[in-house]
Amino acid sequence: MKERAIPWVFLLILVSLIAFPFIVALLTGSSPLGVARGDRMIMRGESVRWQAVLIEIFLLGILAMSYNLIFGFTGVISFGHALFFGMGGYTIGLLLEFTDLDTTSALIFGLIGGLALAALLGLIIGLVSLRLQGVYFAIFTLAVAEMFFIFFGRLQLTRAEDGFAITDLPVWLDPTQSRLTFYYIVLAVFVLTFVFIRRLVNSPTGAVFKAIRENEDRASAIGYNPLTYKLIAITIGGVFAALAGILQVILNKKVGPELLSVTYTVDPLLMTIIGGIGTFTGPVIGASGLHLLDTALREQIVTIGSTTIRVADSWSLLLGLIFIAVVLIFPQGIVGTWMRWRARRVRLSSPPKGAENPVQADH
Amino acid sequence: MNPTDPILTVQAIHTFIGQFHILEGVSFTVPRGSISVLLGRNGAGKTTTLKSIMGMTPPREGTILFDGQNLIGKRPYHIAQLGIGYVPEHRAIFKELTVRENLEIAERKRGDLARRGDLIFDLFPDLKRLYTLLGGNLSGGQQQMLAIARALVPDNRLLLIDEPSEGLAPVIIEQLMSAIERLSAQTTILLVEQNFRMASKLAQLYTIIDDGRSAISGSMSDLVRDEALIQRYLGVA
Amino acid sequence: MLRQRTSWITIIILIAALLIFAAATSRNLGTFGITVLSGLFQAMLLFLVASGLSIIFGLMDVLNFAQGGFFMIGAYVAYDVHHPGGLIDMTGAIPNADLRFFLSILAAIVIGALLGAFLERGLLRPLYARPIFQLVLTFGVSLVLVEAVRFIWSTTPYSWTALFSVREGYFTLFEQQFSTYRLFVIGIGFFLIVAIALLLQRTRIGIIIRAGVEDSGMVEALGINVRAVFTLVFTFGCAVAAFGGAIAAPFLGASIGMSSSFLLSAIAVVVLGGLGSYVGTAAGSILVGLAIAVMANYSAEFLNLPVLASMTPMLLLVLVLLLRPSGLFGERR
Ligand SMILES: Nc1ncnc2c1ncn2[C@@H]1O[C@H](COP(=O)(O)OP(=O)(O)OP(=O)(O)O)[C@@H](O)[C@H]1O
Ligand SMILES: [Mg+2]
Repeated sequence: MKERAIPWVFLLILVSLIAFPFIVALLTGSSPLGVARGDRMIMRGESVRWQAVLIEIFLLGILAMSYNLIFGFTGVISFGHALFFGMGGYTIGLLLEFTDLDTTSALIFGLIGGLALAALLGLIIGLVSLRLQGVYFAIFTLAVAEMFFIFFGRLQLTRAEDGFAITDLPVWLDPTQSRLTFYYIVLAVFVLTFVFIRRLVNSPTGAVFKAIRENEDRASAIGYNPLTYKLIAITIGGVFAALAGILQVILNKKVGPELLSVTYTVDPLLMTIIGGIGTFTGPVIGASGLHLLDTALREQIVTIGSTTIRVADSWSLLLGLIFIAVVLIFPQGIVGTWMRWRARRVRLSSPPKGAENPVQADH
Repeated sequence: MNPTDPILTVQAIHTFIGQFHILEGVSFTVPRGSISVLLGRNGAGKTTTLKSIMGMTPPREGTILFDGQNLIGKRPYHIAQLGIGYVPEHRAIFKELTVRENLEIAERKRGDLARRGDLIFDLFPDLKRLYTLLGGNLSGGQQQMLAIARALVPDNRLLLIDEPSEGLAPVIIEQLMSAIERLSAQTTILLVEQNFRMASKLAQLYTIIDDGRSAISGSMSDLVRDEALIQRYLGVA
Repeated sequence: MLRQRTSWITIIILIAALLIFAAATSRNLGTFGITVLSGLFQAMLLFLVASGLSIIFGLMDVLNFAQGGFFMIGAYVAYDVHHPGGLIDMTGAIPNADLRFFLSILAAIVIGALLGAFLERGLLRPLYARPIFQLVLTFGVSLVLVEAVRFIWSTTPYSWTALFSVREGYFTLFEQQFSTYRLFVIGIGFFLIVAIALLLQRTRIGIIIRAGVEDSGMVEALGINVRAVFTLVFTFGCAVAAFGGAIAAPFLGASIGMSSSFLLSAIAVVVLGGLGSYVGTAAGSILVGLAIAVMANYSAEFLNLPVLASMTPMLLLVLVLLLRPSGLFGERR
């Protein structure tokens, strides 16, 4: 497959994301650095507030893209994605808080170690279980992730259910001190992830991923070993999920078993499906849409008749219902549905072709 | 036999499996009381034609009339209830069910099996002896007999039988042939059969399906004499 | 047949090994008795979740990830109906606690059945052509059920406080007190194991279900409305799971965690027994239930590692999937 040029829309979006903290700062008259109080910074003002929102979107975007690589492009359904996310987080947390390493080495080893551990877990899980068919693989990954969740929920060393706080971050990285720096770090990681996954999927390896998704038997009939390629997909997906986990821990300065909870499997699944399975921008659009909706609705209070409902209480329920509706009504997600609609318009204006193919375009 | 009184009319059906266009225009009629046979090479679309009639792979276009009723859009159970019995290829009997249960499950009204028992055991005496055995423990020929017997339990006016002779010994094939011949006194039969000798002995009418299309239909006695035609479509002499 | 026999021998050996291990690690006959009784109690509850899971998967190829959620809903509904306050307060209308308990079980069954029927008819039916989405959907529904409970009731677990006769009874054996309620649940469980087996073996619907597990397309071609059977079986499976939650509640209370823990244990059961095999599910329930109780006792007495007990079903599940993905009584794939 021919490597396509990056469309100018992406560049435009990238430039606006780089300028974003300053644009918000200008529009609201706040400082992109927060407010100085003595020699410390207080994260107050619209600009830093919005930086936090976008940082979370980037994180969730990375997580969703990594899930989409496994589920959307390779067609492997895993219910244990949280395992990678959480173990990435725990690794860096443990190194920062529970070892004698100085902060810089702890950060470096935490990053490398977290990613390596995720790769190792992906390899092991893949090697022992990828020969299991669809449903069984989903069960297996769910069980393994749940096992780690229970284990870390009871492990006294890491303060069990309560988890522990990260106290030992350098000022330049600390999102409560230098949020703008952290914003650009996460943005960079986000962009790199996007470009990497796009190149990977458009490479010959990616072509095999998609062949496996369409028909595993046929892929192996033309000489590719599906197990090898699924292993590659799940390992790479796992590494990126761990990256998201590491960034999340730094952002919240907190490590706890909730990082391993099923939430971090469901969220990327949800975002991928809502945005569009097997598309490049789908997971990102899903992540942005859901997170923005979340921040917008969280504070809302809806009154129907005499009953008052705080949206925050029912947010997860609402999300679940949206999820079910999307699976039923728009299984192609936002991007997929849009591409279908566009393809149909093109087809209507040109002579009809024989069989309809699922649309695969550069989105 | 009156060719102007077909029990089944298949008219220009197109069937897709997934995105593959499998049947691209199949048409033929089955006269009441006849044995008709669908011929064609492996993968020509004979099984798909039977499944299209049953509604198991519903056609996207075309019409199928059974006794004046349009079958298009009806669910398989509904089509079966109109009086069509389906004997699938590869003897798809229920292996984990006993012979008795295999027959009982085909009842459409209570007492069907009791009423038709005599006919069934008359045609296939072996089944009586095997009544309590699991379907999976029967031999290939016995399974085939069970599969046909299962279609005889309710009052069916048309039987669709897919390659009954597949993988069976000549002696067994003889038995099956005489059973099918005797059956045709009571119901109309549409047969799919690769064994040309068997097909030519049993059927009065044929339709050749080639590459998803009905190529030619006619009376069996004409076909037997037309070696060029046989050679061209079936590759047998 | 031979394969069936080796499966039986294997499972009997495994259960015997567990019992011997339990006996060897118990301080006295009393604690051994408690371990076995609580193991069987757990086993019966697991069976109530797993039987539906297994039959539904066998017949319709849907792994219903929401099955644990139905168990949890059953527990909450039963709790709500039986206790003062909540959505429905029956304490005034029916002061008799026994009668109220009976009613609360009935309510749980009805709610489970209604929700199950809705899930199959409304949500799963459009997706039979897309199995991956069915999997994703039931997974989503399991989360929605949890969130719905969180929304309707509370996030803190309820523990059963309003007692009634069966719940209060005790009997003494080996100088140890045993709860009659456990025995009651075990009795109900065994009764259902036999009743469902008879239903599958002896009735017309049972024959249809067993045939459908093999080849539902062929069943339909015989003139049977298989989709109606699907709805029936799915509804029944969900109702049985809700029933399980209802009879578990007086002992285990009602909590959100029930959903995933019972789901995973039940999946362990059906995978171990062989998805789609009824005998396997029944035998697997007993094995997994006992294993959980034995491990709980052992790790509490010797290892001081309570984590081990809660991880037992998952460990078992992972082991079985690795060693024998088709399970003890399953078809080799
Ligand atoms: N599920 C499917 N997916 C894709 N193609 C299919 C499927 N089922 C059948 N086909 C194709 O449809 C064509 C017709 O198949 P069909 O089974 O009707 O042939 P047939 O004439 O009965 O052959 P045979 O004599 O070997 O039984 C074949 O080319 C087959 O490969
Ligand atoms: Mg065929």
